[in-house]
Parts: sequence; C-alpha cells; structure tokens
Amino acid sequence: MRNKPSPNSKSVNGIKTNILWHRRLGLSTFVVLIFLAISGFALNHSPGLKLNQINLSSNWLISWYGFEVPVAEGFKVGGKWFYQDGNKALLVDGDSVASCTAPLSAIAQTTGGVFALCADGLNLLTSDGQFVEQFGAIDGLPANTQAVTVLDDRIYLTTGSATIDSVTMEFNADSLGLTATDIAPQTLKDIQQVAVPLPKLLQKKLKQQSPGPSISLETVILDLHSGRFFGQFGVLFIDLIGLLVCILSITGLMAWMKRR
Amino acid sequence: MLNKLYRAALVTTAAAFFAVISLASFSVNAKGIYQSGPDFFAEVFAPLQAEPKVLWLTPEIRAQAAAILDRPVRGLRIRYHQSNNKTAWILEEIGKEMPITIGVVVEDDVIQQVKILAYRESRGGEVRYPAYTKQYLGASLQEDYRLSQNIDGITGATLSVWAVNKVAALALYYHAVVIQSSATNQPK
Repeated sequence: MRNKPSPNSKSVNGIKTNILWHRRLGLSTFVVLIFLAISGFALNHSPGLKLNQINLSSNWLISWYGFEVPVAEGFKVGGKWFYQDGNKALLVDGDSVASCTAPLSAIAQTTGGVFALCADGLNLLTSDGQFVEQFGAIDGLPANTQAVTVLDDRIYLTTGSATIDSVTMEFNADSLGLTATDIAPQTLKDIQQVAVPLPKLLQKKLKQQSPGPSISLETVILDLHSGRFFGQFGVLFIDLIGLLVCILSITGLMAWMKRR
Repeated sequence: MLNKLYRAALVTTAAAFFAVISLASFSVNAKGIYQSGPDFFAEVFAPLQAEPKVLWLTPEIRAQAAAILDRPVRGLRIRYHQSNNKTAWILEEIGKEMPITIGVVVEDDVIQQVKILAYRESRGGEVRYPAYTKQYLGASLQEDYRLSQNIDGITGATLSVWAVNKVAALALYYHAVVIQSSATNQPK
C-alpha cells in the first residue's frame, strides 16, 4: 500500500517543479534577453551614438531587404569601358567625363570619335574618351531616339521602339544635322553593340564611387530588436520570448512567495 | 452687419484660395522646353541665315570660362551662330539641381537678348519672363568679367538668377573671344 503524500511534501514538490521550470525558461531565454537589452539600450541612445548615420551596404544585407543589386553593365569600345554610374555621369574606365542621365542605351565608334546615347542626349567624345559636346533634344535630337549605330564609318540614329515604327537617320557630327536614310532599322539593329557586365575591378570601383542603396544601422538594430529582420517568423519568435518572460516573472514570483 | 462681415470673410478666403491654386499651377507650368535651338537661331537672325560656327575651348578660354562659372567647364567645343558682329549662343547652367538652357544674343559687345529656352527646375521659373530678362539688354562685360549692369533678383529664384547672370557673362566673354579671333585672322 502506497503512503499518502503529506501536504508538506506536496508543497515541496510544487516548489521544486516551479523552480525547475523557472530555470528552464531562464536558460532558454537569457541569450535573447541579453540581446534585447543591449539592442534596446542602443536604440534608446541612437541619436547620441549616431546609428542613423552609419550606413550598411553589403550585398547580402541589401538583397535581404529586397533591394535589387543589378550587375553593372557597360560597352567596351577601343579598349576602354564606357558605362553609366547610376546617377548622372558617363564614366570611361572609372573617370567621369560627361553628364549622362540613365539609361546609357548605346555606344558606337567611328574613326573620328565615340558616340554615347543617354536619356538626356547624344554625347560626342573623342576616341580617347574626352567629352566634346552633347547633342540634346533642344538641338534637334528626336525624343524617342533608341540607338546609335555606326555602319561604314557613318553614324545612324534609330528612333521608335517597335521595328515597325522605327526610323533611321544619318547623323552628321560636324554640323549636328540629321538626314533621312533608307537603311532598314533591322540592318542597324543586327550590328548594334550590346551592353555586357563590367569586369569585376570596375564593378568594385563603381561601387566605391556610387555605393547605391544602403540601410542605416539604426534600422537594422530596430528590425532585429522587433524580430522583423526575420520576417513574420521573427516577430512571432519575439512575441514568444515576451510570453516566456511573463511566465518567467510569474514562476520567479511564485518561488519567492513559497520560500517565505 | 454680421452677415456682411461673414460674406466679406468668405470672399477673401475664396480669393486667397484661388490665388494659392493659381500660384501652384504656375510653378508646375514653369517647367519645360519653350523653344528649340534651331528655332531660336532662326528667330534671332531672321530673315537672314547666320553661319553656324564652333568655338574650340583652348586651355586659356576654358580657364576663364571656369572662373566666370565658378566651376570647371566640360566639353571641347561650343556652337554658336554669327552674322557680322552679332553672335548667338545657347549655353546651359545648373540653377539648383537641373540645367537651365539659355539663349543669349550679343551684338557689338553688348547683350541684345536673353531668352530661357528650357527650364527644368520645379521652382524659380520666373526668370523666363521678359520682365526679368529685359534687365540684361545693353549689359556688357567689365574688366573683372562681371556684368556692367545690376540685375535685380527674384525672391525664391536666387539660384536661377545667379545661373542666368553667369551665362550672360560667359556669352559676352565667348563673343569677345570670337570677335577678337576673327579680327586677328582677317586678311590685311
């Protein structure tokens, strides 16, 4: 026959169970609690620590936040790389030579120079990449110019987006004049130079010159503190930690009261 | 009496509202291209046709132009039209963030016309009004490469006014260079 447990031993068992769970909860939450305490302290003193002025732009972080990190592309002409910096500059092997509103849609070269078609105009450059002048809309560049192509050392501009609407015109770089031509747009399209990814060295240099999107350290800490950094799962996790902290407080209070 | 006061207040409020809306729509409409380069040159020299020319920027010209604009000058050449002692220039200068395209006509070393051909900023478009641009008529270039006339500014368009002042002075300088150059090259 089993002995009936005395009320005193029941109480001791209850205290033991309570302390056991208190320890378990404490052990499973203490790392997160310390992190929340430190990150909370940092956020409270963010202006003093200037966390909003520290910008992070590592590729994985930018991708994590959903920003697209496009691979920088350019045109290799005469041994030099021509590309756009993402702002308003045309770069030749890393040096800003002219203003160029994105996109840089085409590059063509004659024996006399290089022609770079940007959204704001056609930039005329020397063969070694020096900016000569810009032929813009105000000078008579058609608004929907799509490409610049060189055929037999003559410069042609193609306007219109669809092949059926396309019109080609010959461009005189000395007089900045345009004359109609009967060359088929498809003929020019076939020989147009296409943009290719820049070499890694230039990509790295471009990133230093024009860092692109970045996230402030304050935002990252705030998102880590609230769990949003890891999406909906992270928020639920922090909610769970909050709940466990409530239980931890209650078990701690109960243990203290029962010991008295 | 109260009714009259109420009506007066209502009318005043409506008038103020209308004025604000008009001003807002004006500032939006200020952006745009008003005249193309070829049209500007044709208008300036009509009924004649001026000769299109190119001024190549030597290091000396470039240095002086940079001093006038207070920034480095990009490009190796500048296009202009000339007929005798009259030259017309289309130059660009950034007001606050966007370039303002300005046509300047110079004859006998004084400004004959300043015209804003394209204005791309969201504010400060008042510089395109003839009431403002007529201040430049008759202005010449002083020895310190500043305009000989005082140009009254426009509240809210300070940077655009500075840009037009710089371009007007630059056009006078370029004009002096080409006139001097053509005088030097003339057969004796």
